[in-house]
Amino acid sequence: MTALTVRYLLTTRRVIAMALFAAVPLLLAGSLALARVPTFDILLFQVLMVPLFLQVVLIFVTLVNAAPLIREEIEDNTLPYLLTRPIGKPAIVAWKYAGYLVAVLVLLVPPLVLAYGVTEAYGGLALGTDSDVLAGFLVATVLGSAAYGALFLFISVVLRKPLAVGLLVGFVWESIVGSIPGNVPKFSVIYYLRSILKGMIDVGPLSGFPTDVSAGVAAGVLVGLSVAFLVAAMAVFQRNEFRQKA
Amino acid sequence: MTGVVEAHDLSKWYGEVLGLNGFTASFGSGITGLVGPNGAGKSTLFKLLIGQLRSDKGEVRLLGEDPWNNVPLKRRLGYCPEHNQVWGWMTATRFVETLLRLDGLPAADARTKAAEALELVGLTKAKDRPLKTYSRGMRQRAKLAQALAHGPEVLILDEPLSGADPVGRVHILRTISRFAREGGHVLMSTHVLYEIERITENIVLIHNGKGIASGNLHAIRALIDQHPHAVRIATPQPREVAQALAGMDHVVAIEMPTADALIVRTRQPDAFYRELPEIVVEHRLDVRGLESPDDSLEAVFRYLVG
Repeated sequence: MTALTVRYLLTTRRVIAMALFAAVPLLLAGSLALARVPTFDILLFQVLMVPLFLQVVLIFVTLVNAAPLIREEIEDNTLPYLLTRPIGKPAIVAWKYAGYLVAVLVLLVPPLVLAYGVTEAYGGLALGTDSDVLAGFLVATVLGSAAYGALFLFISVVLRKPLAVGLLVGFVWESIVGSIPGNVPKFSVIYYLRSILKGMIDVGPLSGFPTDVSAGVAAGVLVGLSVAFLVAAMAVFQRNEFRQKA
Repeated sequence: MTGVVEAHDLSKWYGEVLGLNGFTASFGSGITGLVGPNGAGKSTLFKLLIGQLRSDKGEVRLLGEDPWNNVPLKRRLGYCPEHNQVWGWMTATRFVETLLRLDGLPAADARTKAAEALELVGLTKAKDRPLKTYSRGMRQRAKLAQALAHGPEVLILDEPLSGADPVGRVHILRTISRFAREGGHVLMSTHVLYEIERITENIVLIHNGKGIASGNLHAIRALIDQHPHAVRIATPQPREVAQALAGMDHVVAIEMPTADALIVRTRQPDAFYRELPEIVVEHRLDVRGLESPDDSLEAVFRYLVG
């Protein structure tokens, strides 16, 4: 099931658009290097990547890959092939989620690492010079992919139009929640991703990010959220009936 | 409950639309045809049997077990859905192999069994083509291959002949017959009675979500034949044609709705169609067209349900 999902997400035509979108950080870093922008350094890399990568690329790629995992099988009437195999419905969800995670990380991680490499190479620095930045973004990418993926998968199991709701959650709620005072921002994934970056990176644009959550706790919360949404998706899927489209 | 499929007072609603309405039937071993017009409830019954839907009322058993969320039972069944959707980006080989892997087969066994199943349905030559390039009939065969590749005890086939070309039909019917000969049970739906006549005499008639008759095909045929079958004859000589046909002992009524047509009601449609050409030639009648306004299964079912 995992291999089936990975193959689908990484070998069908949709992967071209996804790969191009995931490559935006690399394209941006490459463009800055080619244009010989004098202020292009690891700080500018972070200034650009926090809004661009965390708030746009990560959310879009996870949404577009997670939302169809189950919903597309229902809409395309291919779900019966899976439901008539000796696999429990919760296992179908879990294995598909595992496949999603592999595929999304294959799409997101290489361009991010390469963009970091281009930035360091442009500054004439060794690749390990700002390893805290790379580590912070990698952890944020892995945990963000896991949390957003589980959230969007849950939405797709519960709702018939998961993309619309996913867009609202991903691009509206996650964008505005940081401006809301009090503890409300804690009801978002982005809050914990920023907390991780703040905790893991010595100097960066998030150094002043107002959070009382350490990187470790933030990582734990995101793992917990991922598990909770995944288990909820499995439970709903187990209980649901599936009617084919006419 | 001892049959391959047992349903008792089974009901399923889709909101306010009735899918099954107190359906009761028992399907024995071998091949059973579930015959009914579109919308009769055939697919709903099948989805209940594979555990895709849960009944609102009543009880259903497949091989003696409740199918809802019954994972072990899935090993014993093969299902061919009505819809023609498949993962079009896969080749037929990959499609069947992938599903066999999900059945728990090791990769090597899955490869061998997939090749065998595709050969059985006559798709060996096209097995490495993406399914999206397949015709409807070829997809039907690929769907049948995935249903039987893992060696199930029972095959549930939802309109397996729909859209199949003549060669495909032969392959499909031959494959189904062979599966049954080797001891498998087949439950196959169709809305065309003659399609199923070639491979089984056991049929269950379903209409408006209810089982209305079941048993031997010939008995049901006889039941159908008791109800007059209407034939509309287009002719500029309705009076002459009526006089000639009135002598047929199985003709029970003749009507002349318009000046250029008449409607004949017969209790033996086969005999009527066999004898008509001879009568037309003998009496030199000008008959320009024949149509059976109630030759659809829907009309037959209306007769049966009164």
